[in-house]
Amino acid sequence: MAVVKVDTLSRSVAEGPSLMTGSIPRRDWQDMPVQFKPGNYAYPTKSEILAYLDSQPGISLPNARDWSPEDDDWKLPEDWKETIINGLAERLDKFRSLKIFMDCCVRCGACADKCHFFLGTGDPKNMPVMRAELLRSIYRQEFTLAGKLLGKMAGGRKMTTGVLKEWFMYAYQCTECRRCSVFCPYGIDTAEITMMLRELLHLVGCGINWAMEPVANSNRTGNHMGLTPQAYKGNVDFLCEDIEGLTGIKVNPTFNRKGAEVLFITPSADVFAEPGLFTCMGYLLLFEAIGLDYTWSTYASEGGNFGLFTSNEVMKKLNGKMYAEAKRLGVKWILGGECGHMWRVVHQYMDTMNGPADFLEVPKSPITGTVFDNAASTKMVHISEFTADLIKNNKIKFDKSRNAHVKATFHDSCNPARAMGLLDEPRYILDHVLDEWHEMPENTIREKTFCCGSGTALNTDEIMELRMRSGLPRANAVKHVFDKHAVNTLACVCAIDRATLTTLMDYWVPEVTVAGITELVGNALVVEGEKRQELDEGLRTLVF
Amino acid sequence: MELIKALKKKKEKILSVWIERTLDSYLSSGFFKRSQDKFANPVGANIKEGLTRLYNLLVKGSDQQEYVEPLDQVIRIRAVQEFSPAQAVAPILELKWVVKQVFSADKECRGLLSELDSFDCDVDRAALAAFDLYMECRDRLHRARIRELKSGSYILTDSACASAVIRQNLQEISQISRRLRQHDGATGSDDTEKNRII
Repeated sequence: MAVVKVDTLSRSVAEGPSLMTGSIPRRDWQDMPVQFKPGNYAYPTKSEILAYLDSQPGISLPNARDWSPEDDDWKLPEDWKETIINGLAERLDKFRSLKIFMDCCVRCGACADKCHFFLGTGDPKNMPVMRAELLRSIYRQEFTLAGKLLGKMAGGRKMTTGVLKEWFMYAYQCTECRRCSVFCPYGIDTAEITMMLRELLHLVGCGINWAMEPVANSNRTGNHMGLTPQAYKGNVDFLCEDIEGLTGIKVNPTFNRKGAEVLFITPSADVFAEPGLFTCMGYLLLFEAIGLDYTWSTYASEGGNFGLFTSNEVMKKLNGKMYAEAKRLGVKWILGGECGHMWRVVHQYMDTMNGPADFLEVPKSPITGTVFDNAASTKMVHISEFTADLIKNNKIKFDKSRNAHVKATFHDSCNPARAMGLLDEPRYILDHVLDEWHEMPENTIREKTFCCGSGTALNTDEIMELRMRSGLPRANAVKHVFDKHAVNTLACVCAIDRATLTTLMDYWVPEVTVAGITELVGNALVVEGEKRQELDEGLRTLVF
Repeated sequence: MELIKALKKKKEKILSVWIERTLDSYLSSGFFKRSQDKFANPVGANIKEGLTRLYNLLVKGSDQQEYVEPLDQVIRIRAVQEFSPAQAVAPILELKWVVKQVFSADKECRGLLSELDSFDCDVDRAALAAFDLYMECRDRLHRARIRELKSGSYILTDSACASAVIRQNLQEISQISRRLRQHDGATGSDDTEKNRII
């Protein structure tokens, strides 16, 4: 057997093909084609799902087919190029914001190192400015005089299948979290560029199943999981039984009740998946404690709106059902649960899509009399705003010792933080329900919060590694407070967060579990007439 | 000069080359090398800190068990990035090459090149520990994937909806019933066969 000398071995490692694999770019970015391989892309939409959606009123999602990103031939329609260019022209005309975003970037680079995908991958095309450039180069080529005349010299390039594939790769390596926009001196909303890229891809039948199946289900039964009204109600009833077992409080929610004062809408994951279930138990207990006159709806049974990640027409349709249901039931206003992107849709798009909701009243808490002027137009109040107001007016009592097992930190979920400015209410609640909680470093919270890395329908398991690396900046900050203060709970106000941060923590900081704010509220809440058992883990405690 | 003294004296240079080469494995490494903020630049900062701590332990001749923590800082990140297993752990082995390069370029240290065998062995041990860690990370990742599938988070989207599952169950039940009826019709009632089908 040959004896390998140590220096020969190390040289072969250092100079051989293992480490230096051409990672340092030696070609222009436009000349580096994307490579799809298992693990770096989410599965395309199932053809039957897309065909179903395309058949639905108000939705156009053509070109359903079986295809794979790994194949050379994506089976694009013959006129795909024309379709894309016409689609872009239509959107430039329709959305003034897009036109501005295409024109006004000065490539200052402020956004470049702010994206969690870039920070986790080191891939320059994940710099927000570059991701936008993927579209902007086509815009220049086709829609500006300089680009038409000078082409590449003016930053333009021709629309090719290679470009389309690049769009598919990077439009689905952006969670539309909008952290980059916070740092952009021009306020370019890069999320909207990703939204446009995804819309254009849908014109030629290129989307991902993890987005489209929930859209199809929501369109059909009202929620992502396609649950029937019976199944939905059954599970809430099941949670009520658990609450009674744990606290002795009998909770009697109503469903589809006309004439209730408030309609409550939350992500369906809260009703069906851990750890959202415990947050849902928190809602139920809280509403019972204050005697809120409210109803659930088995029609508007989903707060999430994957239309935001799909196309503006789908977003409009799915958002519309919430308001249609509020109208049908004759409620005064809507109370929304701990959801992320629902709040972006409500705060930034609802008014111009489906609003104004004149048939509803400006929300007024029946318990405290507080009028939520901030929701005067959308008529929809966030559960944390509502709870913080209850606390401020001394309408609920807490026993913090019931959360003695929790030492928390707080993750600002991207959309509530950046799209609706919900920054202080959850913190105010935490102050009242916990003895101890700690902030993560300043540049990772509030408006500058880092995304969970799996939003916008990227929370699918086939891209687990991608999710872990894009979630690294968030996890890294959690690890810091774990090392420093031994926190064991990551609190948040978003259903996707609750699902995906759980996995993220499991990989990066396994000692930390994930909980919704209202779960912690439910844990500490003192309710009249209760016969609460010793609950070492709050509402999560298993009681036999 | 003694080897340990030389490794300490040349620490800054060795670390700088080692960290630079490791970060060069990223497509766009400028920011990773430049930014000192641990929270704005988790890849760069953790790799820098992890390799520095590991170097100190190697020079000190610490117990192999102590390598794990700094190695974890580096390998946990690289295990989920687009590296092959070899590429993910290669930076650890590279230290041997870096030390030799730095020593070769220095008159005082050149004479120590032949004494590096023991240090090289320690680096090899660290590399083996890195590979263990790499596998542990990958296993954890796969377990997380399975847990997601089992926990029900997946039914957020990727499953047949509950009503479809009910329909499917109903179909299966009706198929079984049909087969049982056919069977009964053909042979009279045979409980053994019926039980087998059920």
